[in-house]
Amino acid sequence: MIKSLKEWILVFMIIGFIMLIGNWIGYDILPWDALPGIAILIGISLAGLIIHRLLPFKLPSIAYIGIIGLVLTIPGMPGAAQIVTYTTEVTLLSIATPILAYAGVSIGRSWFDFVQLGWKTIVIGMVVLLGTFLGSAVIAEIILRFQGII
Amino acid sequence: MGEQAFKLWKDWRLHVIVLAIVAVTESIGTFAIPVGPGTILLLPMLYAVVIGLGLYFTPLVTDKQSINAEPLVFLSVSILIAKFGVQAGPALPQIIEAGPALLLQEFGNLGTILLALPLAVFLGLKRESIGMTHSIGREANLALITDKYGLSSPEGRGVMAMYIFGTVFGSIFIGLISGFLATVTPLHPISFAMATGVGSGSMAAASLGPLIAAFPEMSETLTAFSGVSNLISSVTGLYMSIFIGLPLTVKLYEILSKNKEKKAVKGSVDYDKKS
Repeated sequence: MIKSLKEWILVFMIIGFIMLIGNWIGYDILPWDALPGIAILIGISLAGLIIHRLLPFKLPSIAYIGIIGLVLTIPGMPGAAQIVTYTTEVTLLSIATPILAYAGVSIGRSWFDFVQLGWKTIVIGMVVLLGTFLGSAVIAEIILRFQGII
Repeated sequence: MGEQAFKLWKDWRLHVIVLAIVAVTESIGTFAIPVGPGTILLLPMLYAVVIGLGLYFTPLVTDKQSINAEPLVFLSVSILIAKFGVQAGPALPQIIEAGPALLLQEFGNLGTILLALPLAVFLGLKRESIGMTHSIGREANLALITDKYGLSSPEGRGVMAMYIFGTVFGSIFIGLISGFLATVTPLHPISFAMATGVGSGSMAAASLGPLIAAFPEMSETLTAFSGVSNLISSVTGLYMSIFIGLPLTVKLYEILSKNKEKKAVKGSVDYDKKS
């Protein structure tokens, strides 16, 4: 646990640094303006990972991370407004770019497996992604309209 | 696990490469390509995945970097999920109001079965099509099929193929279509924001990006809904597959393949010999 904790903290510092640079170049937000925000997001992630390790249930760690972030920012929670103000400085797109850069480097190894798949799999794969994405959106749309929300 | 798993922060080459990719792609910025009535948005994150993939085939990236990058995707996704969380808190009243839609849109995953399974059977795939089309084919679904049929079964090969396809191509494909679909169809951006939560973390990032770039005035709401949808999917998605998705796929496959066999028997005299 202690070893993982040290590992997580060091890795988060590196990733956080990369995100701050991307946030600066792409969205003109100076790193020191976004620093408190990224520190809060890292803190929430760490808390989620630790809780995941400590609790015996089999919920994915991202479930804990999402819930902690949500609870901390419910209007009326002490400090909620501050957390929202700080984390707004870290744009979602600047978080996404390093994720996909790491993903790109990582999926290179699957490339040859991908090439062997054959055209049928590729056609079906696109329909599977499209079907899931569009299916979810259509059902959400129907229910939201039914409720009169949109 | 062991030694190697605990030295991720030491892989300076990998982190410098990612930093360089981020710096380059963010400097290039966003391009909007109008296609008919819709728009395809090319975002830095999409260049990033393509450049990262391309670099794997240069001496800059070795297998070591590629192996280390995988847990780093997970750790950086957790920061994204934290961001989803802090956007969701302030939107909580809105989210509770939309609660039924968020829960029920999980059924949208079944859209895959109705759309992709007939196509797979039509293209001549056998039991592989069950593994391929029962779900979006991410880690949880891979585990489910492996548990039930084994990885070397036809079903296992099918889900593995979908997993690989989604891993390599998923974020690029879904990143290209999400903004386009949101601008070209009459569906509301919030409905699409909910749909971004159905896949993996990197797919969520790749499909939400173009949405908030296309509707910047709604960015906070869209992020909040995407996050909650992702949260609900991560908890309920597997059970959805176990209790509804997979049984439905198997049933539908049996119906479809029976019809197909009848047609095949009629259409070809060699059919009995071949099988």
